[in-house]
Amino acid sequence: MAVGIRIEFHDVGKRYDERVVFRGVSGEVGPGEILTLTGPNGSGKSTLLTILCGLVRPTRGQIRHLDPGGAEVVRAEWRRHLGVVAPSMSVYEELTALENLRFFARVRALEDVEDRCRECLDQVGLEPARTTTVRGFSTGMVQRLKIAQAMLHQPAVLFLDEPGSNLDPSGQDWLAGWVRAAADDNRTVVLATNDRSEMEWGSHSVALAG
Amino acid sequence: MWRWLGEAAAVAGKELRAEFRTRVALNSLGLFALTTLVAVAYSVGPFRIAAEDRPFLLSVLLWIVLLFAALAGLDRSFVKEEESHTAPLLRLSASPLVVWAGKLAYNLVLLYLLMVLLVPLFALLMGFEVVLVGWFVLLLTVGGYALAVTATIVAAIISRAMTRGALYSVLSLPLLLPLVIFLIQGTAAVSDGSVDTVQSSVRAVVSLGGVMTVVSAFVFPVVWND
Repeated sequence: MAVGIRIEFHDVGKRYDERVVFRGVSGEVGPGEILTLTGPNGSGKSTLLTILCGLVRPTRGQIRHLDPGGAEVVRAEWRRHLGVVAPSMSVYEELTALENLRFFARVRALEDVEDRCRECLDQVGLEPARTTTVRGFSTGMVQRLKIAQAMLHQPAVLFLDEPGSNLDPSGQDWLAGWVRAAADDNRTVVLATNDRSEMEWGSHSVALAG
Repeated sequence: MWRWLGEAAAVAGKELRAEFRTRVALNSLGLFALTTLVAVAYSVGPFRIAAEDRPFLLSVLLWIVLLFAALAGLDRSFVKEEESHTAPLLRLSASPLVVWAGKLAYNLVLLYLLMVLLVPLFALLMGFEVVLVGWFVLLLTVGGYALAVTATIVAAIISRAMTRGALYSVLSLPLLLPLVIFLIQGTAAVSDGSVDTVQSSVRAVVSLGGVMTVVSAFVFPVVWND
């Protein structure tokens, strides 16, 4: 079972210069739950996701990442607990699929790097293409590799921004099962999506107005 | 400590692997250095400088070629992370100091590779004689480190800015100017055999490199995470 981390956010807002992306957004998600962030294009779903995972600072509001004892997770530790898949985050296209995963495994100081990388590639269906450079991948294959990267260290929290985009029907079915299994394994899942079937995965949701 | 070094080695290894596949920085550094060297050798050559002026003037030319070649290629590692949108995942996966150390190691390898190729060629084409060979190697080693550590932190800063190209030179030159002055002094001294001057130049270069290392270690996490 995963560690179990709760995320609470209150009155979060973000603006870029004069443009207000969103304001006054609150919510929470705990271990074993799936929070979906929904809203029209430009409403700030991806921005909120990057704020919740700690990459971008909000203009206002408070975000807390709490461990099972209720203590705040320190920033240096937080990195070890989260896995992210987002359209705005790329993997290295000069490297092969296996080299990409090896790199992320080594900077995360994982053990049994080779076995773990091969296992993840196998799960996302990229094992036969492990020695192909990412430059030669289709967008769907790149998406599968990004998912493999996010599952590599078995994180307690998953941030998924349109994770099913560019996946074929069998990939989408596998993704649905993987996200549900992650929640069943006590992981916390935050999902930004406009896909109707993905919205149904959520145990609760936050709708952004736009 | 070993774990930290292993993570930094992973970053440096990733950079080198990607670089040897694309050769973007190697081509920028190498072609700039070679073109400048050939232009200097053709216009000045080994015999158009008076014998007493040669140690100093050839040292100036050597470090001008090395400095500007470095400025042409050492910013790539950070700029490319931002341009190809790989920086966010790197930020979420590795600690800032690991990234800094890995990128510094990669820039060091590039710069030392450039020196190994360029310096003998420069000595051959320009007739640059080195009396104190051991001191010269030491000066190039510590000078290369100081140059790389300064170039790395400036590259990290400008990779977050919008107007990258111009900003790199604008920020780098004031930081690198004192370093280059000491390197020129030391290089002239290894050519005319003045051990005292080389020693003081090496000490100054080591001090500047040390200061830039400490400053970078404090500044980089703020620049990288902000």
